[in-house]
Amino acid sequence: MQKTKQLHSTKRLKVGFIWGILLVLIAGLSVTAIAIGSARYSFSEVLNALFSGERSTAQTVVLSLRLPRVILALLIGACLSASGALLQAVMRNPLADPGTIGVSAGAGTMAITVLLIFPNLTFSLPLFAFLGAAFACFLIYSLAWKDGINPVRIILSGVAINSVLGGYNAFLQLMNSDNLSGVLAFMNGSLSGMSWTQVRVMVVYAILGLFLSILCVKNANALQLGDEMARNLGVKVNASRICLSAVAAFLAASTVSVVGMIGFVGLVVPHISRMLVGSDYKFMLPTCVLLGGVTLLFADTIGRTAIPGLEIPVGIIMSVFGGPFFLYMLRKKGKFNEN
Amino acid sequence: MKINGNGLQIGYGDTIIIDEIDIEISKNEITTIIGPNGSGKSTVLKAITRLLHYKKGIVNIDGRDLKSFGAKELSRRIGVLPQMHSAPADFLVKELVSYGRMPYQGFLSGRTAEDERIIREAMEATGTYHLRDKSIHELSGGESQRVWIATVLTQQPEILFLDEPTTYLDISHQIETMRMVKRLNQTTGMGVVMVLHDLGHALEVSDRIIVIKDGKKYSEGTPTEVITKQMLQDVYHVDADIVHLEGRSKPLIAFRELA
Repeated sequence: MQKTKQLHSTKRLKVGFIWGILLVLIAGLSVTAIAIGSARYSFSEVLNALFSGERSTAQTVVLSLRLPRVILALLIGACLSASGALLQAVMRNPLADPGTIGVSAGAGTMAITVLLIFPNLTFSLPLFAFLGAAFACFLIYSLAWKDGINPVRIILSGVAINSVLGGYNAFLQLMNSDNLSGVLAFMNGSLSGMSWTQVRVMVVYAILGLFLSILCVKNANALQLGDEMARNLGVKVNASRICLSAVAAFLAASTVSVVGMIGFVGLVVPHISRMLVGSDYKFMLPTCVLLGGVTLLFADTIGRTAIPGLEIPVGIIMSVFGGPFFLYMLRKKGKFNEN
Repeated sequence: MKINGNGLQIGYGDTIIIDEIDIEISKNEITTIIGPNGSGKSTVLKAITRLLHYKKGIVNIDGRDLKSFGAKELSRRIGVLPQMHSAPADFLVKELVSYGRMPYQGFLSGRTAEDERIIREAMEATGTYHLRDKSIHELSGGESQRVWIATVLTQQPEILFLDEPTTYLDISHQIETMRMVKRLNQTTGMGVVMVLHDLGHALEVSDRIIVIKDGKKYSEGTPTEVITKQMLQDVYHVDADIVHLEGRSKPLIAFRELA
């Protein structure tokens, strides 16, 4: 008994240590991301601009351009990672990610359609994005469901849905070449030109979505044991599947409606989090939230500074690095499907 | 505690696997369901434990309709180890076993000292306490099966349901599992319902056997009443003799030689 207690606390200590490191990383990376760019500032200039309240050009750039972008990157990364983690529990597949299985594409398609056909409805864009994401989830289930959920079929139906929606989006682009920039912004998620307006919107969605996802922890854990085992433990399997999917769709859709589609964050981050703290969602989900912020902020800073004078959308950076990671996971997938 | 199923019709989609079956399970007994592959024996087990919906008929637990039980309420009275189950490889044994307390926990509440005691007792009863700090992927097949049984025991069920608990195990682990089941039944009075393939095991551990053939109940009774030359011929289409050996309380099944 004594030993059990001890082991519990060492685990907690380890997780706490990892969270501490991630928080330090977030702080360090944020300051770095604010400092570098077309105008470079020293760390003391950045800290000065952030905390002293003195008026200067540095302060204007830092406070109205770079800080909102950093905050947005942290929030978007956190939401996408939490969304991926929940989808992986629901679909019992470590390859599930709002990007790869078409949930983001559903949100994006709906958002683009609304934007092009009813331009005056932009205010309710997040709602439509959520409906699109939820519909994509529903489609995936109806395609992949046959006497329970089949992990391989989930990915296959996701790929199919992704390509159908991709085709539809390409068609919309073709028909609306005069309004192309708006459509393209959704296709390749980008944090370019984001201001406090978007931050204010995203903060609300992120707090709500992440709070809801914390409530999903117990059921997400139980679903990892298999449907019948979860049912045996008194979990209402279908109801919790719907709830978890809805929260995941909400998280993904809110990011899409603010910055467009960004893939692979929800794939890479939960995987690394699982390696760091294990599969218990009580520890894994908060790790995803922190690490997701780090990852997206890092990717966006690279995209912003890699080629001087050119901004690479963070969605492209994530695809370039996330795609190979997906293939790597596909190869080692056998490990996850053991009975 | 008694479970009664009357006129059960069970199936998936449009296919009907079990048609019109009556079943009775009581606490304190070990009941085994046997039958050929595809006869529907696991289906019966799933229906009376509400893992699967039945199309017609009724199941009562102590006279109360199974469908009227709350999800957690039912999980506190019966425990089921399904045939298919999996856990993330990094889960520790004691973590997995602690999931059996879920039916007793509120939405946000954690484990109590009482929970810890029950978790420990379940591990001790299944001989897995020394494995508690190992991760699931370090276990052998037999150890893993005992850990899963410990998980279900932690629910403190009045009746324990095991769906083919020995199927993927070698003979020593099969015997070990059967011995453990028998001991659990004798020491705690907990009822056990198993689906088994091995007729020898069924004969040895059961108090009562139910034989399913083509979705119908073929026969039911004590092992010696049920396991007969005639039954083996009718249900499994095999020739065998039931032999009594001196010094053994239960008979043995001697299948006809292959050549």
